[in-house]
Amino acid sequence: MTAVAVTGLGVVSPFGAGVKAYWDGLAAGVCAIRPVTGIDADGFRCRIAAEVPDGVGGSARRSRADRLALAAAREALDDAGLARRERADAALVVGAVGGGMLEAEAWYWERHRRRIRATRALRAIFPSSHAEVVGSVLGLGGPRETVVAACSSGAAALALAADLVADGTSPVALAGGVDALTRICFMGFNALKLLDPEPCRPFDRDRRGMSVGEGAAFVVLERADRARARGARVWAELAGHGATTDAYHVTAPHPEGEGMARAMRAALAAAGVGPGAVGYVNAHGTATSQNDRIEAQAIRAVFGEGRLLVSSTKSMIGHTMAAAGALEAVATVLALAHELIPPTANLSVPDPAVAFDCVPRVAREAAVELAISNSFGFGGQNVTLCFRRA
Amino acid sequence: MSRVVVTGVGVLGGAVAGGSDAVRAFLARAPGAPTPRAVPAATLSALLDEGEARRLSRACQLTVGAARLALADAGLGPGGDLGLVVGTEFGDLRSTIEFVDGYLRRGPGGLSPLLFPSTVMNTMAAAAAIAVTAREVSLTLCAPTVAGELAVARATALVRAGRAPAVLAGGMDQLDPLLLEALAELGGGGDARAEGAGFVVLEALDAARARGARVLGEVAGAAWRALPARPYGVGRRPASPGALAAALAEAGVAPGGVGSVQLSAAGDALRDRWERTLVEAALGAHGPRTQALGPIVGRHSGLAALAIAAAAADAAAAGAPALVHAVARGGSQVCLVVSGP
Repeated sequence: MTAVAVTGLGVVSPFGAGVKAYWDGLAAGVCAIRPVTGIDADGFRCRIAAEVPDGVGGSARRSRADRLALAAAREALDDAGLARRERADAALVVGAVGGGMLEAEAWYWERHRRRIRATRALRAIFPSSHAEVVGSVLGLGGPRETVVAACSSGAAALALAADLVADGTSPVALAGGVDALTRICFMGFNALKLLDPEPCRPFDRDRRGMSVGEGAAFVVLERADRARARGARVWAELAGHGATTDAYHVTAPHPEGEGMARAMRAALAAAGVGPGAVGYVNAHGTATSQNDRIEAQAIRAVFGEGRLLVSSTKSMIGHTMAAAGALEAVATVLALAHELIPPTANLSVPDPAVAFDCVPRVAREAAVELAISNSFGFGGQNVTLCFRRA
Repeated sequence: MSRVVVTGVGVLGGAVAGGSDAVRAFLARAPGAPTPRAVPAATLSALLDEGEARRLSRACQLTVGAARLALADAGLGPGGDLGLVVGTEFGDLRSTIEFVDGYLRRGPGGLSPLLFPSTVMNTMAAAAAIAVTAREVSLTLCAPTVAGELAVARATALVRAGRAPAVLAGGMDQLDPLLLEALAELGGGGDARAEGAGFVVLEALDAARARGARVLGEVAGAAWRALPARPYGVGRRPASPGALAAALAEAGVAPGGVGSVQLSAAGDALRDRWERTLVEAALGAHGPRTQALGPIVGRHSGLAALAIAAAAADAAAAGAPALVHAVARGGSQVCLVVSGP
């Protein structure tokens, strides 16, 4: 694969707007999972989530998710130092699930009480809205795509964008993921009994499920030689990626993690490295009993036991759905750049079935050359991104 | 980089349901009048097993059915080396509404854990991947009115780059009364719409030849771009060359060498006029013959498969490549250059 450099980062997370706030929170091991304020949680077993604090900004006429996406996308482009004229050929790939559903839900709830007409907010209901808004406002004229791959959407967006850069279709690409907390998401995971009433505890022996969150993250990808030529700061190299499908069950992962392991192996193969070269895994790590056990099994199948550092940043910002893969990619890039592995917060009693050092509660200094970020979604959709330190 | 060929077509709609033979027969009838907009129950159930008929939502059933038709047409059984790219504009909206209605009627106790996964748009791809054992990359691409064409363009790139030896690509959309009401009130109701699904099987030419597959056509160029336009609006004549020029350049085809164009026009007057302007700008005002299947069979994201089959047939008959072109409000534009077998 042609070397693809990460030259810009942008984040809106439950720690607030900006990459700095995000990294400060992760590095300090702060858990941003709190009682839900944005939607009505009455009657549900779980009433907590990791919400983006108020004050994101942007026009109130846009959906919350569109505003999250715009803020993160702007920061990434500014961070990369791309002027508007340099964006005309830029590709845009957005991982999305909920779209503008939060506002559509409000309309539908009201319509349930009394007959009302459709509102303009419904135009932004579908996931493709984010790419339409971000692309139009920021003047991105290259290939535009919205990929929906459930909880691996954000990672899939980075993988697709990397291909567009590597094959020469676009000189530069903006890629990321976004999701605002919606009633449907909150209610759905409650209905599946997959939410922990307390902040989630990935890889803990006593874990009881996930916590949901919201946010957005974007990265700027460009050919490494182009980045060097224009003197851009390179955060890391996106060295390879792998995407596979379990073809097993709509909601449950393959019981042996076969598809997960295949995605990790494919990413390593694309990067041209063996498992021994990787020092850190930013795990999907949802804190459901099934995911963490099977993911650990798959990691062990690829890397062997023990040596790796494995952590789940969902322990701090919750599971941000379509944004998760992109937020975790940024966390992985920052871990390489800062030589600091973010911890797994709330991890008190490590699960003996997880044969790794899961960096409990406190970040760990470690100079790692290569790291991977795992994202797995409903539908058995597995994506692994492999990053190399710049 | 591999050359990419079409080895199978599967279309499931009210107008036509079947593989390349059924599509050929339908196109030969030179349809002009609008056709039925819903898939007959018997047609759909014949493509599903008992469990799928009972368990899957209609959106998933349509997707699984069309995927099976395309694979059978390509002479491929269910297999692990298959990728999948599903384009959709609306996803499984009906299941989403049903899920929400459960809550509004009965509170948290009314929520169905079985329906929740269908509120995520990749549910159709998940069901199809399981049904046909597609274990390579699986993508769902959401886009207004160009999703099917975009799925085929992206799948072409995946096969070309060797990311999967064969990819099922196309799309599905389903109609819902609430959706039609909202589209009408918000000004997007001009398009003739239908429910349906359609896929093509794309393979690397070498792989297709090695297994003795019948080749229906070649995707010689595939490009997608964003033209300057406000969200939900249309643009003017583009300042940038756009997907048309990029696809032609990739295929090595001069504008004057194009034999015909399949348009995405389906009744949205503003967008349809814009599309004609774009095509004329790229190919000339007195350019090749154009056809739009949308007004006849109704627009859905699976229509791309039918358009590609029509383009391949046109290209074979005329001895000149044909284009499949689509543009959406908001500026997404896709162009495929299809040559005959």
